[in-house]
Amino acid sequence: MVMKTKCSSITKERIFAASLLIPCFVFVCIFAFYPILYSFFLSLHRIILGLPSIGQPFIGLENYRELLHDRIALRSLITTFAFVSVSTFFEILFGLIIALVINRHFRGRGLVRAAILVPWAIPTVVSAQMWRFICNDNYGFLNYILFGADISKYRAWLADPFFAFAAIVTADVWKTSSFAALLILAGLQTIPDELYETAKIDGANAWQRFRRITLPLIKPAILIALLFRTIDAFRVFDLVFVMTQGGPADSTNVLQFYGYKKIFAEGFMGYGSTISVLVFITVFVLSLVYIRLIRTRLFTET
Amino acid sequence: MHKRTVVWNNSLMFPVVFAILLAVLVMSLIIGCARTENDEKKIIRFITWKPNQPAVWEEIYTLFEAEHPDIRVIREVGPHSSTAFHDLLAQKLKNHSPDVDVFFMDVIWPPEFGSAGWALPLDELFPPREQKNFLNGPILANSYKDNIYGVPLFIDSGMLYYRKDLLKRYGFNPPETWPKMVKQAREIVFEESKRKEMFGFSGQFKQYEGLVCNMMEYILSNGGRILNPQTEKCEIAEKPAVDAVRFVRNEIIGKIAPKGVLTYQEPESIAIFIQGKAVFHRNWPYAWEMSNNPERSKIEGMAGITKLPRFSGNKSYATLGGWQLGISSYSKNREAAWTFVRFLTSEKIQKHLALKAGLAPTRKALYKDTEIIQAYPQFSDMKTVFLTARPRPRTPLYPAVSNVLQRYFHKVISDPTSDIEKEACAASQEIDRIISLQDSAPDNSAVSMTETREELGIETKDAISERTSE
Repeated sequence: MVMKTKCSSITKERIFAASLLIPCFVFVCIFAFYPILYSFFLSLHRIILGLPSIGQPFIGLENYRELLHDRIALRSLITTFAFVSVSTFFEILFGLIIALVINRHFRGRGLVRAAILVPWAIPTVVSAQMWRFICNDNYGFLNYILFGADISKYRAWLADPFFAFAAIVTADVWKTSSFAALLILAGLQTIPDELYETAKIDGANAWQRFRRITLPLIKPAILIALLFRTIDAFRVFDLVFVMTQGGPADSTNVLQFYGYKKIFAEGFMGYGSTISVLVFITVFVLSLVYIRLIRTRLFTET
Repeated sequence: MHKRTVVWNNSLMFPVVFAILLAVLVMSLIIGCARTENDEKKIIRFITWKPNQPAVWEEIYTLFEAEHPDIRVIREVGPHSSTAFHDLLAQKLKNHSPDVDVFFMDVIWPPEFGSAGWALPLDELFPPREQKNFLNGPILANSYKDNIYGVPLFIDSGMLYYRKDLLKRYGFNPPETWPKMVKQAREIVFEESKRKEMFGFSGQFKQYEGLVCNMMEYILSNGGRILNPQTEKCEIAEKPAVDAVRFVRNEIIGKIAPKGVLTYQEPESIAIFIQGKAVFHRNWPYAWEMSNNPERSKIEGMAGITKLPRFSGNKSYATLGGWQLGISSYSKNREAAWTFVRFLTSEKIQKHLALKAGLAPTRKALYKDTEIIQAYPQFSDMKTVFLTARPRPRTPLYPAVSNVLQRYFHKVISDPTSDIEKEACAASQEIDRIISLQDSAPDNSAVSMTETREELGIETKDAISERTSE
């Protein structure tokens, strides 16, 4: 084959490629692998910041056993899964709708595309603060648009377990739907117009064109959006930190926030790290499933 | 699919490398400049929160820099919530951050900060003969084992604020018991709300440290306890404690107080009161100044202040609060830091804070100061409250205990269907487990903890007899 004759140039290219990759690899090692391994290391020890005199004894899987019996951790795991599934579902749904809209040709499309990305560009802490104000019981905008001047009907949204949860889901969907839209839009743009024209000539209506052409062809893009959003939603922290601090009645106490509380507020480094490791493993497994899914999809499609 | 080969364009290499080098150069220049500036003046970094009366504090900082031109104070403003402030500070100190010299400490932190080695022991700078000039409660709150870790700046304790005008109009005296307060509030709100928006009560019931302070006042004034100092067992599942919590759920939240109090910290809860929308209000002493400040308050001159109510057959209790100044063990400017702490806690500044910001001083002498007593006649009465105010459990693991309490209280008061007894038992067991971790420490910190607690009880009694004999 042609390749064999170019052997030396290929090795050269490989060395060059490796030298380009090494800085990135070192970066990942320092900022990703090291913290993960260190968290795992910490999770095998009993480390309490308030009690340095107990030292840092190695306790094996004791922390993990404790985690299994921790009813608050179990509840916050369920809360996290609920948050991930509900928010990701709506993000993909709205993302798809937005993408379909901004993929069409109309006047001012550039402006609309830019406008849709605004929520994504706002730092989460800022948008969370904004949503907290919107939901405020006394001067919040939500009460004002729902009840106007009728103060007696005003509700304390963030004091109600259900609405507080709904509020963080809404804040997340509002912010990141545009991100999902962006990924799906990229998928939409790879579909050649000829396909639609041919379908039109064959007499396919709009729904059929969407169902038979658009949807199958953007499936990989949707899956990638799903992957990103699931992983991201699983690590939700800033929304909860700003809007509810895990309350009311633990209804928004997601796993990341619980782990943060354990480490930074209570000083249980070892146990808190155990929770981090749990988050890591869950996200890792989820990603593996998604990547497998994306791969098989890609192969069956091509 | 086609395999793409990346073609590295050699002509790109130079500009990229050049840009990186330039960036590094600029960065090091910036860092270098910052360093040289540091050498001229001693800089101390003060971790503080956003005060309720920023102008007063501004004056104090200006005064300090005028008196000590060689020291510059850089303030880093943390969150208002004590819990969030603790998290920020703990994170910095845990990492041995050199960017912290002086910091505010809530009254519950010295055992933790001392035990963890974050706060510098101040015994040499702040010896017992100096400590004698301060109120006993805050001094003990700053002591852990044999050392003292902070200098108290002002003392807080829960107080009941009420609308003098409304109580008078309906012929009531300030309530002595909680049920009486509920009854009065109901009656007044029933009539007043025909004309305008009116609530009976506001307090702090968000899931944060303030919730523990509020709830403790109900529990302790019903003869309950959080921890039994002798047996070190948690007693929140005992009947007096459970009954008090049930009272808050059934009579306060969403009844005489709006349901929104479940999301209120101090600023939100006082807003209702000074807008004239609440009959009763529970807060710290600073609320007095705010209620009578014509710029912010609509009820100037109409607020009254008194001891917190109790349940019949029991004594009124106020949670001890207040803020201390600590110095970081990792500070490189200890001397300058101490100069700053000494300045802030001096009689002059405490008096200024009392007069201008309504913060109750920690120096005993100031309670005899005619200017202060004239401006705040209630301070002389409040001294009794300050002397009997109950500290929260004193343990280096307090944050963990507090988180369990916050979670339990918030759950049962916000969800009327929850089973208080069951939740209380679970929380109680969890707290016992946390306290038992402490017993596993080789230096027997638990034993000395009991001693200091007993000591605290004795000292407080002594202080009271001292006062009555005066």
